[in-house]
Amino acid sequence: MTALVEAHNLTRTLAGEPPVPLVRGLDLSVEPGTFTAVIGPSGCGKSSLLYLLGLLDRPTEGELRFDGIDTVPLDGDARAKLRLARFGFVFQFHFLLPEFTALENVQLPIRRLGRLSDEAASARALELLEAMDLAGHEHKTPDRMSGGQRQRVAIARALANDPSLVLGDEPTGNLDSVNSARVIEIFRALAHDQGRTVVCVTHDHNVADAADVRIHMLDGRIERTD
Amino acid sequence: MFGRSRLLLAIALKHIAKRRRQTAVAVAGVAVGVGFFLAVSALMIGSQNDLIETLINSAPHIVISDEIRSPSPQPAVAAIPDGAVRVRGFKPRNEVRGMRGWQEILRAASAVPGAVASPSISGAVTLRTGGREEALAVIGIDPEVEEQVSQLEDNLAAGRLRDLETNQGGIIIGEELARRMGVGMGDTLGATSPRGGNRSLKVVGLVKQGGGTPFGAVSSAGYMLLREAQSLTGQPFVINRIGIRLPDPYAAEAIAARIEARYGYKAESWQERSTDLLGLLVTRNVIMYTVISAILLVASFGIYSVVSNSVSDKARDIAIMRSIGFSSGDLQRIFIAEGLVLAVIGVIVGWALGLVLLEILGSLEFPISGQPETIPLDRRPRQFALAGVASLFSAGIAAWLPARKAAQVDPVDILRGAA
Repeated sequence: MTALVEAHNLTRTLAGEPPVPLVRGLDLSVEPGTFTAVIGPSGCGKSSLLYLLGLLDRPTEGELRFDGIDTVPLDGDARAKLRLARFGFVFQFHFLLPEFTALENVQLPIRRLGRLSDEAASARALELLEAMDLAGHEHKTPDRMSGGQRQRVAIARALANDPSLVLGDEPTGNLDSVNSARVIEIFRALAHDQGRTVVCVTHDHNVADAADVRIHMLDGRIERTD
Repeated sequence: MFGRSRLLLAIALKHIAKRRRQTAVAVAGVAVGVGFFLAVSALMIGSQNDLIETLINSAPHIVISDEIRSPSPQPAVAAIPDGAVRVRGFKPRNEVRGMRGWQEILRAASAVPGAVASPSISGAVTLRTGGREEALAVIGIDPEVEEQVSQLEDNLAAGRLRDLETNQGGIIIGEELARRMGVGMGDTLGATSPRGGNRSLKVVGLVKQGGGTPFGAVSSAGYMLLREAQSLTGQPFVINRIGIRLPDPYAAEAIAARIEARYGYKAESWQERSTDLLGLLVTRNVIMYTVISAILLVASFGIYSVVSNSVSDKARDIAIMRSIGFSSGDLQRIFIAEGLVLAVIGVIVGWALGLVLLEILGSLEFPISGQPETIPLDRRPRQFALAGVASLFSAGIAAWLPARKAAQVDPVDILRGAA
């Protein structure tokens, strides 16, 4: 099977005196339809790796391919376009736009993509919210929702553009055990039922246990994969 | 593309709605700027138009006189234009004043569609009555044509121009001169010209004190029938001035140049006569537009402040939108849209404020020459459009400066900080 994400000698160093290495010469391959957890102690470079994989940051060295596309030479707008079309992000904090309702937040990527009419975008967003058990909450702004509900809205938004790759940065880090379990279940279903590729950076052993592949990181390097 | 613009505008509107107080201050700034732009420009341009109208209407648009701007070259110089000719000790021929072939010039001037040309002659006479003597520039006119060319008829306090035709030896003089000489309507004066002409004249009209005349100061000019003035001043069949009124006063400069080039006599347009004043108006306009542009610029500082704060406060939202896939251009457009929406609201409120100010200014009356008069105001839509465009432009620049920062935000820095 062809890997969806492939990295060779992936390196990210912060400029400075002395330079700060975040990710050191990683080789990585993520198969499509898998749920991968990246685990390791704080400061080991997990989030930095995620930002590189999500094309939010640029490697200082190495090669990174997404679905066969060499992403390193792409400019900012081309990377944004690729993110909009193929990527979905879920962060530790819900990161919803506070002035927008749940429905409007989920519609954002759909409307920005501009492939659907307003009505179709609204229908798709409602469908996603219902799939996240959020029917009836669509017109609430984030400040009127619980932490678990907000995170599910964020997951619905991450799926709105029908992404190939869903990236989670400690998606359960701010949730109680019940909501964490629910998010883990959703992530597993995304990979196993919908065939999406999920990569989660986590400290949560429950997330790691639920993943198909676990990448253990230490000091910016992959220590082992199991 | 259109859907994306609507989305970006919707985000901008949400940001604005969240900051009502700052929005109100920024809108008020633009509105006051636009309102006072309209009031000041209406006053300045209104008074300028009024002045120009007075300049245009107070005298013929073109005055051809029997003067020549540069002396004609000596025959020897004219015969050998490129030769090294130097003429010394020559005696200039005494030319008789007056325009040669004036009938042809009159015909040519009248040939301009819609134009009216009025011939006249001027000469010096001395008026006498009861032992008093006053020097006077007597001007011979054709009343029927003159009343179409100048506003002399409108400036008469008593009598009519046509009365010169029905009264032999009739003269129209200024009210002030009449008072000095102690004469009134119907009184008789003695007149003597330097060439020996001598006759009695009857006062048939009085020009208002302070009223302008097409020929200069009221106090020292008197008007007679053309042929009687020619006879009195000893210049039969001669004229030394043609006044032309045009349907388009702004064509005066070009037509005057054509006439002067063809006939050699000095043809002066109203623009040439008013060069200094028109130059002053240009300077005045530069000052006016500088001041009102400064008002609009200061108003745009409010927009800069709102957008700049919005960019700072929304750093996390910017990072989120970047992670979703919004381009740097999208983010820039969101914040520029914020500034432009504020400016559009400000311009609309400013237009309303401007209309109120114009109504107030237009209702004020000031006593001018004893008559209550309102201030001339320029209420043309052009000024409203200019105020709107200038405000939107300055608001666009004011919003663009901080919006650039939004486009440069590194989402990773924000996401790391938030985590």
